[in-house]
Amino acid sequence: MSEEEHITDPSVKGRGSLEKAAMQDEHMQDVHAQLMREKEEPQEGFSPVPIFLMFIFAALCFWGGVYLVEHSGGYRWDAYSPDFDPNAGAPKPVEIALFDRGAKVYRNQCAQCHQADGNGVLGVYPPLVASSWVTGHPQVVSRILINGLNGPILVKGSKYNGNMPAFGSSGLALSDKDIAGVITYIRQEWGNSASDVTVATIADYSDLYAGRSVPWQAADLKEGLGPVPEVTAPLLEELPVDGEVATEDGVTSY
Amino acid sequence: MSADQKQGPYSSNSEAVRLELSQIDASIRSAALFFVIAAITWLMIGTVFALLVAVKAHQPNFASTFEFLTFGRVRSAHLNAMALGWASNIIFAVGLWIMARLCRAPINHKGILFIAGVFWNIGLTVGIFGILRGDITSVEWLEIPKYATPLLAISYALIGVWGVMAFRFRKGDHVYVSQWYILAALFWFPWLYVVAQVMIIWFPARGVVQSVTNWWFAHNVLGLWFTPMALATAYYLIPKVLGRPIYSYYLSVLGFWALAIFYNWAGIHHLIGGPIPVWLISAGIVASVMMVIPVVVVGINHHMSIIGLYKEVWRSPTLRFVVFGAISYTLVSLIGSAMALRTVSEITHFTHFTVGHAHHGVYAFFTMIMFGGVYYMMPRLLKREWPSSFLIKLHFWGCALGITIMIVALQVGGWIQGLEMNNAEIPFLEVVQNTIPWLKARSVSGLFLTVGHIAFAANFFWMLFAAGAVRAKQGPTLLGSNEGGSAR
Repeated sequence: MSEEEHITDPSVKGRGSLEKAAMQDEHMQDVHAQLMREKEEPQEGFSPVPIFLMFIFAALCFWGGVYLVEHSGGYRWDAYSPDFDPNAGAPKPVEIALFDRGAKVYRNQCAQCHQADGNGVLGVYPPLVASSWVTGHPQVVSRILINGLNGPILVKGSKYNGNMPAFGSSGLALSDKDIAGVITYIRQEWGNSASDVTVATIADYSDLYAGRSVPWQAADLKEGLGPVPEVTAPLLEELPVDGEVATEDGVTSY
Repeated sequence: MSADQKQGPYSSNSEAVRLELSQIDASIRSAALFFVIAAITWLMIGTVFALLVAVKAHQPNFASTFEFLTFGRVRSAHLNAMALGWASNIIFAVGLWIMARLCRAPINHKGILFIAGVFWNIGLTVGIFGILRGDITSVEWLEIPKYATPLLAISYALIGVWGVMAFRFRKGDHVYVSQWYILAALFWFPWLYVVAQVMIIWFPARGVVQSVTNWWFAHNVLGLWFTPMALATAYYLIPKVLGRPIYSYYLSVLGFWALAIFYNWAGIHHLIGGPIPVWLISAGIVASVMMVIPVVVVGINHHMSIIGLYKEVWRSPTLRFVVFGAISYTLVSLIGSAMALRTVSEITHFTHFTVGHAHHGVYAFFTMIMFGGVYYMMPRLLKREWPSSFLIKLHFWGCALGITIMIVALQVGGWIQGLEMNNAEIPFLEVVQNTIPWLKARSVSGLFLTVGHIAFAANFFWMLFAAGAVRAKQGPTLLGSNEGGSAR
């Protein structure tokens, strides 16, 4: 390689006469020195990987595998808890007693009128406490819930003439489970001590009165009652699983 | 190799290579110079935004009379000015320069590269103004409004392609580790950016998929764009300055592929505790912990390459910054792996600890290495020397002290904040008040960083405009005595 080709400034590259002149230039030599001062382009040695590193990495990979097995929720799209165990069978549903469920429904749907203490408002909303309409034959109170009630009615010696909305399929469409819950609740809260009304019983009544589109009158309520259903169903009802894993700690929140 | 160096400039048998390097430097000079100027300009703008935001964190009424200076906008303007303005511009400058040099392939059509660079910065300017105007998107790391992003994507394609072209027309059989990192990152970044834009902004995916995409993108900007570029720079400069080969090719291979395999899973650890299928989060956690492998490998490879030459490192402006960054890489990554664990995340999530961690990565690691890259590259491009070693020292100490104070303040303060937030006995407002001293310390650290940045910019523009400031024959600008070798 000849001297001329060492020119580093591209503006003079390829112009032989200028190159020669440039090589006399002190500045050019300085520049050349800067370039020559540079060390070689980088290279790589070939030292072996230290063996202890391989042990550390093997341990890390092992840990990673164990962690994924323990905390992957069986790779299900619907498992959100790091402790979800896919081998534990169906997820344990949260069990809510019919009475507790009813209490919640009552607070949301009924307490505005009948009041939280179940005493209603004298002359406007009838009381539920110690009312024979509530604690008597389950079919009576179920009819009121499912289809509603209007017209005059006598409760504990006072006369009421209001309009109770329907909560069955023709009205606000609560589920059978909610209706069973709230009836069980009002029959057993505030010192009332009537029997449970099961979901199955309400389901029967719902079918029976699904076609009825008008509310009940007080006079009709006690006509044509069936036998008092026996309470054989368990007191605890299960929530639907609906294809979701509704464990209590399903979603860890921080 | 060492024999060559002793023989003086005109008798080296690597002259052909050196001549090539000179031509390559010349081929990229105008574009690289433009990118460095743009990067430093954005660095200064981003610093102003950063100071505003830092002060607002403990004085909420500071400079809040104008809508465009409210916290939410300035914070995002800071992030984008730094990530796409400073970081990406400096990557285009240093990364493409290293790629061209290692491939021994000059950049042809440098005019296109230059024009694409101009448009990248126009797009970014429009984006930052859009953010300040209130057109900000609500997606972290993708705040730039819709009307500016296509320009950024197209400009990127026209910039990145020159790195790929250099690789395509490379000379020599051996592909050096820096080339792997740069080539991979040149493909990773556009993939990340386009997928995230399409799935979140243009044709939004439904539900949590958006969040998953968001954090996949945000973490990978760090992991698959900034990190490989900074590692490539460190891998190039350490052996280059010290004149000693990288310790082990095998470690380089292991480090690269482990990063490529594990990093892109890691972003999901930002969603620990969120309503995401648990296997996805667990996979993210495992991948985050697995990042220990490439980090330890790179750490050992770098450490073994400089071992015994600590004085040289300390004396060279380039290596002082690069080694600070390389050490930070090990630290920040190990802390990051720990933060991904559920038990740690319970404390650090949603606290200033995370903010400290982000700056640990982007600043103490990435930015410091890139400063080192600029200190090495500029004398070669301009054929001048840095005018002032005092300003370099001021730059180093301002940045090193500043970022250390910031990380300690935010991570100690953030840890305390996390413990207090998990304690239901402590009212939330009290927790917020207890962070104020730490946030004030962060503002102080910002002043240190500002001093460092001003010193850097002053030195750079001095070198750029005062042509005769320091001539090459006076030798390299070193920090300390010039005796005993000429490491740069």
